[in-house]
Amino acid sequence: MLLATLAALSLGVLAACSSSSSSSSSSSPPASSSSASASSSSSAATTSTSACGTKPGVAATGTPINIGAINTKQNGTDFSDIENMTGAYFACVNANGGINGHPIKYFPVTEQTNPSQIASLAKQLVTSDHVVGMAGNSSIIECTIDQGYWKSVGIYALGAGIAPECYSTPNTASVNMGPRYSSDGAVSYVISQGATKIAFDQSNVPGTTYIAAGPNAIAKAKSVPIQDFTENVPITSADSIAIKLVNAAGSNGAVVLNFTPPEALLILQAAQKLNLEDRVKSWACSTPCNTDFLATALGPKWNNKLFVNAELTPLDGNTSPTAQLFDGILKQYGTDVSGGVGSFSEMGFVIGEIATHALETITGPYTIASVSAAFKAVDNYNTGLLCQGYVYGNFPEHIPNNMDYTVTPDNGKFVVASNGGGCTLISANDPQIAAYRSVAGTAPSVNPPTS
Amino acid sequence: MPSWSEFQPFIVSGLALGGVYALSGVGLVVLYRATGVLNLAFGAVGAMGAFIAWSIINKAGAPGWVGWIACILFGGVLTLGYGLIFGPLLAARGPLVQTICTLGLALVLFGAMDLLWSSSGGQARSITLPSDSGGFMIGQVQVNWTSVIGLGAGIVITAGTHAFLRYTKLGTAMRAMANDREITATLGVPVRRVEAAAWFGCGLLAGIAGILLADLAALDDTTLTFTVVISALAAALIARLHSIWITFAAAIVIGLVHDLITPITQLTDYRDMTPFVLAAIALIAVSRRQVFTQSREEG
Amino acid sequence: MIDTAGPKAPAAARLLPRPDRRALVRGTIIVVLLLLALFALPPLMNGYYTVTMTQVAIYSIVTLGLGLLVGRVGLYSLGQIAVLIIGAWTGARLLFGTGQPFIVVMIEAGLVTMIIGSLITLPALRLRGLYLALITLMLAGAVTVIEATLNFPNGGGGFSGYNGSLVHIPQIRRPSFAGTDPAYYRFSVIVAIVMFLLVYVHLRARPGRAWASIRQSEAASLAAGISTTFYKLWAMALASFVTGVAGALLAGGDRYLYSIDFPIQNSITLLAVVLMGGVFSLAGAVIAAFLQSFLPAMLYQLWSVPYDWLLILFGVGVMQVLATAPGGIADQFPKDMKRLYRLIRRLVSRPAPASSSGTAPAKGGEAA
Repeated sequence: MLLATLAALSLGVLAACSSSSSSSSSSSPPASSSSASASSSSSAATTSTSACGTKPGVAATGTPINIGAINTKQNGTDFSDIENMTGAYFACVNANGGINGHPIKYFPVTEQTNPSQIASLAKQLVTSDHVVGMAGNSSIIECTIDQGYWKSVGIYALGAGIAPECYSTPNTASVNMGPRYSSDGAVSYVISQGATKIAFDQSNVPGTTYIAAGPNAIAKAKSVPIQDFTENVPITSADSIAIKLVNAAGSNGAVVLNFTPPEALLILQAAQKLNLEDRVKSWACSTPCNTDFLATALGPKWNNKLFVNAELTPLDGNTSPTAQLFDGILKQYGTDVSGGVGSFSEMGFVIGEIATHALETITGPYTIASVSAAFKAVDNYNTGLLCQGYVYGNFPEHIPNNMDYTVTPDNGKFVVASNGGGCTLISANDPQIAAYRSVAGTAPSVNPPTS
Repeated sequence: MPSWSEFQPFIVSGLALGGVYALSGVGLVVLYRATGVLNLAFGAVGAMGAFIAWSIINKAGAPGWVGWIACILFGGVLTLGYGLIFGPLLAARGPLVQTICTLGLALVLFGAMDLLWSSSGGQARSITLPSDSGGFMIGQVQVNWTSVIGLGAGIVITAGTHAFLRYTKLGTAMRAMANDREITATLGVPVRRVEAAAWFGCGLLAGIAGILLADLAALDDTTLTFTVVISALAAALIARLHSIWITFAAAIVIGLVHDLITPITQLTDYRDMTPFVLAAIALIAVSRRQVFTQSREEG
Repeated sequence: MIDTAGPKAPAAARLLPRPDRRALVRGTIIVVLLLLALFALPPLMNGYYTVTMTQVAIYSIVTLGLGLLVGRVGLYSLGQIAVLIIGAWTGARLLFGTGQPFIVVMIEAGLVTMIIGSLITLPALRLRGLYLALITLMLAGAVTVIEATLNFPNGGGGFSGYNGSLVHIPQIRRPSFAGTDPAYYRFSVIVAIVMFLLVYVHLRARPGRAWASIRQSEAASLAAGISTTFYKLWAMALASFVTGVAGALLAGGDRYLYSIDFPIQNSITLLAVVLMGGVFSLAGAVIAAFLQSFLPAMLYQLWSVPYDWLLILFGVGVMQVLATAPGGIADQFPKDMKRLYRLIRRLVSRPAPASSSGTAPAKGGEAA
């Protein structure tokens, strides 16, 4: 008994003493290894990926710039594709000149929604790994837990947000809209197409009332009755949920869902099995539904019946230089992006773009202060994948992505809805949007859709 | 209080859900009657088989029936393997220890499933059967063929295993072995062969249930390993882990009550509690009459 | 602990009875280890491991309660997560809603959890073995659903203390003397020590003997006049109390509580680590807490090992413990070490001539 405890304690002391930046070496592809693979295919690929950096083909060799990221990765919820794609972007940059010659050393970590673990990971990144900036955060609760810490150390984080604090605190800005504003977009679209009643359903994860407040405000402003529901996930009895929602929406109403793709798929498939999909005027979904997996799993019955809010430009059939760069980076450096092309990898790409653009403007040493100033200075930056130019700014809250597309399945792929699916501002009937626009203004569209 | 017509569609969906619980619950009780072990890894075995079927169908491009056969065989072989090792090893320890051991198997399979079929990148997997796209109307409500098959499979398995255990020689040998392995061996029953047959047969059942549940409920490791099994366990407990017919009936009742509560706004948020509340009531009502339950002591 | 020194020794044995000296040595080592944990460890650990070790301290109380139920009374509770939820909820509600000192809140959380835990399981205590274990699972499932709907307090008002539309959620407060992470770690270790002492005192007194008797044979205990239901209830009450205290400690440690962090399958992994750690000794509870909270954190930090591998390890561990080593690591590790020691001794002493002086020390060592 004594030996066991002694052994365990000594193991612990050993581990604690030896802890430092060991987590980074195994997760992010270091510049040297990816440039080895790059050289073999460089003849075909350098033209499509060199645009990420300033000196094509020149590997960065200066002192590294340490950047960190925290993603949720647990059974049923895995956002790690986002930080993996940002890491791929940085690997591309490192192979093509770096940031003024300096490589970016990426420290992506994953967590299992354990609050104390998340708090300690943030502290470790800053105090042990000496990161000077955070780019690529995407977690159910990270913004809530770390917002005080980022404020105290002066870091301004860039990520793909979910929790309310990702949009309502000064130290985090997101490239996506998050569940509330994405649901706003979905609800606005179905109302614009004539729905006279809304049944809004979402998964029972932290913040449901906050999320529902947006759609409720928008529906109320248009005098459309709305009923809110929540479901415990994972869903076991999708049939009863489908029936309940269809009954609540009525024949001229719309069902709006805010779920992760597997859960949304269950409800939609149940509706189809029970022949209920035509019993309401339309179905809508917030951004997570915007994945090709869902489009292929749903049959042709959902063409122009299901409308999904899309926060980023659809990539199918997109031949713009940004889309080509995305493809190139995904193929060359994105081996651990398991979901392939989708909203997760797109968000990771956009984060990489913005972070690189900001870092390249820094002239002096790379410290927390200089990196934060550079992030905040990002203003009207055209990412090529967002409706608006991206602005970080020095505001008490950040909702820089507040303009969306609406897409609909078309035989296995999502395409921009022909009827008013192009870049549309999220309605200012949502008080949080109105508050943001009163300090930051309303950025116009710079990136027209490609339908 | 909602009207009768509002309840109607939930009766149909409730029966379908009850069918889901019945498949799992009956499988649990049959296993218990045949081997003396409450195999709580029943759901995990079926789930892994379903994931294997998914990979065969969607990644290797094989036709559906190849995947289903693979799932069923996988269930049989894995359960047989577990039973051959841990059956004799724990036979003297009693049903409680044997059940906890199957939880170990469930954890191993659950971890393996999450590693092999991760949910990263928003991947959504599903098993679809040809019977999904068709049905018939009862009044205003559409009844899907797969639900009918699920319910039907439940009835067939219930009746079949009940008759098998009671009327056939092999079934009787299984029941005797489950009751007391030592005495059955002295009676000249080939215990190892009977035991193997029991585990293998129940494993096939787990595979069949796995495919059907993956289609009817979800192809999700947490749902199939824990949620459905724990809810189905309620039905098995109501039947005191003994009567297969009562398990079936209890499962149907649980499914019906669960879905019928859906339109009642005051209770709807708590409807996932239905299996647990019903099981607790039944068990406590029964325990009032006696202090000791089974004759088997735990070691 | 039989004295095998032979007829020459009785006088010496009365002067310095072996068992007491062994207990003294053991006690000293435990005290030294605890002092190390309290004072030597914090400066060595960075933020990540400080938080991890705090979780170890908190969960060691939970595994203590479950180990008590499983090892001493034979009650395989599959619902301890529900008890932890009740404790954490109560602690958080009181910490947000009242200004009471943290320690008072902890005790109140323990008492509330004790009452609720006892009330819920009281009707079920007449059941035995498998049925009792399964009904704890059912009750835990019910509590998990209630909690998913009610949510943990987040600073709001009303009974539930949950305000779903809050845009900035306040942190759960900590004691004024243990606000920083290292200070809270020390505080958690001290609370854990107190809980372990509480259980230890129970084990040495009448309840401990009654529980041992019930574990041997419930029928015989009843025949001997021991009220089995009363003592089972006492065990359940004690386990619920310590788990409730642990819940309040967890609320202060995590500072934010979410229902997604308490799924029903955590009850199963909890039982798995308790079995692996060893249910027959208090040290087993500490080992179980290390398996549950330290091992995953360390493996992830060093080699990015995903948590799924830990699940597989725990599953294999449960099967192995039940099949071959019922005492768990706490029981098996010293036995393995002793076997290793004897093997080494035999290898070392083999070249020596076969004289009586060569064999006597080995015998003396065996007696320990």
